[in-house]
Amino acid sequence: MQVPEERLGTIAPPSVARLSSIGSSGEAPERLGTIAPPGKAEPRAVYVHVPFCRHRCGYCNFTVLAGRDDLAPAYLEAVEREMSWLGQPRPVDTLFVGGGTPTHLEPAQLARLLDRTSHWFPPTGRYEWSVEANPGDLRAEILDTLAAAGVTRLSLGVQSFDDRKLRTLERDHRAEQVLRVLDAARPRFESLSLDLIFAVPGESLDDWQRDLRMAVAAPIDHVSCYGLTFERGTRFWGRRLRGQLAPLAEELELKMYELAIDTLESAEFEHYEVSNFARPGHRCRHNEVYWRGEPYFAVGPGAARYVGGRREVNHRSTTNWLQRVRAGQSPVAESEQLAPEPSARERMVLGLRMRAGVDRDDFQRRTGYELDRLLGEQLPLLVDWGLLADDGRRIRLTRRGLVVSDTIWPRLL
Amino acid sequence: MSGIDCRFIRNFCIIAHIDHGKSTLADRLLEYTGTVAQRQMKEQLLDNMELERARGITIKARAVAMRLTRDGQTYELNLIDTPGHVDFQYEVSRSLACCEGALLLVDAFQGVEAQTMANAYAAMEHELAIIPVINKIDLKQARPDEVTEEMEHSLGIDPADVQRVSAKAGLGIEQLIDAILRRVPPPEGNPDAPLQAMVFDSHYDEYRGAITYVRIMNGRVRKGQRIQFLRGGTTHEVLELGQFVPHQQARTELHAGQVGYLICNIKSLEQVHIGDTVATVGSQVAPLPGYQQPKRMVYCGLYPSDGQDFTELRDALEKLSINDPSFEFVPESSEALGFGFRCGFLGLLHMEIVQQRLEQEADVDLVQTAPNVTYEVVTKRGQTLEIHRPQEVPDAGEIEEFRQPIVRVNFILPTEYIGPVMKLCQERRGVQQGTEYLSPTRAMVTYDLPLAEVIYDLHDKLKSATRGYGTMDYELVGYFPADLVRMDILVNGNRVDALSVICNRGDADRRGRAVVKKLKTEIDRHMFEVAVQAAIGSRVIARETVPAIRKNVTAKCYGGDITRKRKLWAKQREGKKRMKSIGQVDIPQKAFMAVLTTGDER
Ligand SMILES: Nc1nc2c(ncn2[C@@H]2O[C@H](COP(=O)(O)OP(=O)(O)O)[C@@H](O)[C@H]2O)c(=O)[nH]1
Ligand code: SF4
Repeated sequence: MQVPEERLGTIAPPSVARLSSIGSSGEAPERLGTIAPPGKAEPRAVYVHVPFCRHRCGYCNFTVLAGRDDLAPAYLEAVEREMSWLGQPRPVDTLFVGGGTPTHLEPAQLARLLDRTSHWFPPTGRYEWSVEANPGDLRAEILDTLAAAGVTRLSLGVQSFDDRKLRTLERDHRAEQVLRVLDAARPRFESLSLDLIFAVPGESLDDWQRDLRMAVAAPIDHVSCYGLTFERGTRFWGRRLRGQLAPLAEELELKMYELAIDTLESAEFEHYEVSNFARPGHRCRHNEVYWRGEPYFAVGPGAARYVGGRREVNHRSTTNWLQRVRAGQSPVAESEQLAPEPSARERMVLGLRMRAGVDRDDFQRRTGYELDRLLGEQLPLLVDWGLLADDGRRIRLTRRGLVVSDTIWPRLL
Repeated sequence: MSGIDCRFIRNFCIIAHIDHGKSTLADRLLEYTGTVAQRQMKEQLLDNMELERARGITIKARAVAMRLTRDGQTYELNLIDTPGHVDFQYEVSRSLACCEGALLLVDAFQGVEAQTMANAYAAMEHELAIIPVINKIDLKQARPDEVTEEMEHSLGIDPADVQRVSAKAGLGIEQLIDAILRRVPPPEGNPDAPLQAMVFDSHYDEYRGAITYVRIMNGRVRKGQRIQFLRGGTTHEVLELGQFVPHQQARTELHAGQVGYLICNIKSLEQVHIGDTVATVGSQVAPLPGYQQPKRMVYCGLYPSDGQDFTELRDALEKLSINDPSFEFVPESSEALGFGFRCGFLGLLHMEIVQQRLEQEADVDLVQTAPNVTYEVVTKRGQTLEIHRPQEVPDAGEIEEFRQPIVRVNFILPTEYIGPVMKLCQERRGVQQGTEYLSPTRAMVTYDLPLAEVIYDLHDKLKSATRGYGTMDYELVGYFPADLVRMDILVNGNRVDALSVICNRGDADRRGRAVVKKLKTEIDRHMFEVAVQAAIGSRVIARETVPAIRKNVTAKCYGGDITRKRKLWAKQREGKKRMKSIGQVDIPQKAFMAVLTTGDER
């Protein structure tokens, strides 16, 4: 198939993006080394977005299509086409198939998607391959399909073990389903993760405590805890404006977040990123690629990639993305080439969201910037306020810094 | 068509409360006299800016010359515009000095309003012939008889003199013109005496420089003549002169009694003083009476916001002042806000106009401090200081007397609201001067009040206390001693000079509480506690605390879409830039206006 010229930049890294061909380009004076930011190296990770869901949950602002399963065949064709524009298979270490709800596809469709994915992105070595799943969809057939394709990690959109809370969230599964699914999935995958949501209207600290206890007792290796946010364009947003949904008090939400940290840490889950907790050896390596500022491929509507030092996001409307791919046009909606300094600053912020923080030498090696000069007066100030800890080698968020971290980032950018 | 005999000239203005139909009536007169054909009216106005069309053409031509023939005789009617707002009282008085007559225009439904009264009194003081006109008689709700009665009671108008018109429908215009011809006296003045002309207005033309509006009192002025401004002390050559008809129409000569414009290649309006006298170079004529320096009653600080350029703001202010000489600015600096300007205005409306123009025309991002009036301090050593900003107030020990400007305010309102309005005034230390019934249902209440109280919120409060039916107007009475203090605001212990205010000692506690409360809502939470205090000298009179942020973390996975989040943070950082940092505390621009809060509980 003939690939139009403009498309090459979309997904295939241009040949100049090779590590070897990039040298110092004489930017800002503080930039020291001659090492290319790893954003420009060949990606070793891929994200594939599946937009289908049975229905749209009231709080959801992801790229999602509900009740349009009829588009699945066209979607599969388009995904394959977008992948094929790579020109040749790209071996990767981590794969992440997210959504939406990938497991909402028919088993045969899912099998084909996974097959095409591993064809264009051959998993290598001790790879990690995550798929997001909805407990309500997980029949044995689906689990088998996933395992057979080589998926190693299942990320379950459990959200809660409390039926009332699940109803408020407009989720279509019930608590007892979750427990059955976990038992069925356990032997088939190396890693099981579940998502939990807290600070749901009407939720008490005790309710949340129960969810956390259930999670700790479940046969899982990883937990992601998300505070419910009200986003524009969701039904929850409108209901909140009309006063039908009341967000929890800040103080309570803070207690919930801290309770999650304390409960999970004492159950030997390592708190390794703002929202993420893992048993030893079970961190999500794919997400760590994002947080380290490393490059990744991406396919599908609304998917975001970082290739050749360029951040791109595909069209978020599934139909729009479909039409463009079918017509042989670039599906990219937004594209931004980061200059070295903003790129370094972004890496700093993402790095600090990880509890291990940022290592001075490592940062300088990867970005070419001296951390202390980049942060200037902000670093001593934030340390002084007790928000950052600095042991001379690494800087990282303190517990207090962690809970107000979104106030810190604008200072660092 | 220039050499018209004084006996056939009529110079008049229209006095009206806003919306009573001044512009509509002016348009009708232009049409009636054939100055603008009816059919042209629309097209003509279409050529102008939207704003000007919306407001009628008198805004552009501050004086229009109309020609009209009656019984074989040609007359020249000069309609001179008067600004309606109290901020421009002095300008009004100069316009009136150029007229022999005034149409006192009152809405047949609304009746006499405060602005009508203030300007009608001024016209009477100038001994103008007053032609009372009731407009909008076509309205269903018109109540011309009652309004006539109001005019009789409030202004001593003879009901028999009242003209009833509808400017919109064109009713009664002919009789009105007759009344103007009959009752407005022709101008006096000797065309053969040495030149003496009054400057009553000016505007700035990008290509031709200052356009000076004059009324010739005596003598003649011709193209090419060398003239001098007696007060301004400058001399110029007259490059062009003429009249607005309503477009700019050059003439060869203007003589005593006539109204028109001069163009003299003057590059800034600063050189044209309203009320100045024009004479020929070398002539020994005396300046005309009534001239005053523009008196700035309200001051505020204007500062570039963080990251904005001081010189950009200076250039913008300079550009503005070319067009508006009554606005004044001098550089000042503030510990809190850095380098900026102290700006003086004729009044609060004038301040708002200037500020709007700065933002619209110059695109500068401003931090404005709360406006304050000009005070006077007499020191123990007998010196009198003009205080333009709170920081200039000397230490309490050095003050012999602290004086503030007092204004006389006329309120016109339906009688049922007299109680609430009196209460408003008493709370503001007003002293009642009288109450007069204009009709069984409407009254005029007069109070002397501190100007500071008037400019802050009295107009809004009046509107809400009278459901919009009350109107007010005021004039300066003078400076009087009062028990005033400077109240300072401290943020985390640092005095923020730009937040200091001058207020009455008795009000300080209440004001202080209200201001710190307001500031608490304006200042975002920080990562540490922020204490906001109000103090007089070293005595703290109020305190509020902005608690530290307890939680601000998106416990959410951004997936790979990092760009969105980064953009959001970048936006927040830009927002931070539009603040002023004092100590480590970010204070948003509008917080500097918070000190206007007077405390609603009084
Ligand atoms: N019904 C009626 N409306 C009028 C008359 N004269 C003016 N108006 C309306 O009153 C409003 C204010 O008129 P305008 O001339 O702009 O008032 P100005 O603020 O005094 O210049 C406009 O909507 C006019 O159309 C009139 O004689 N009859
Ligand atoms: S299942 Fe997930 S992606 Fe689908 S609508 Fe609900 S929240 Fe959104």
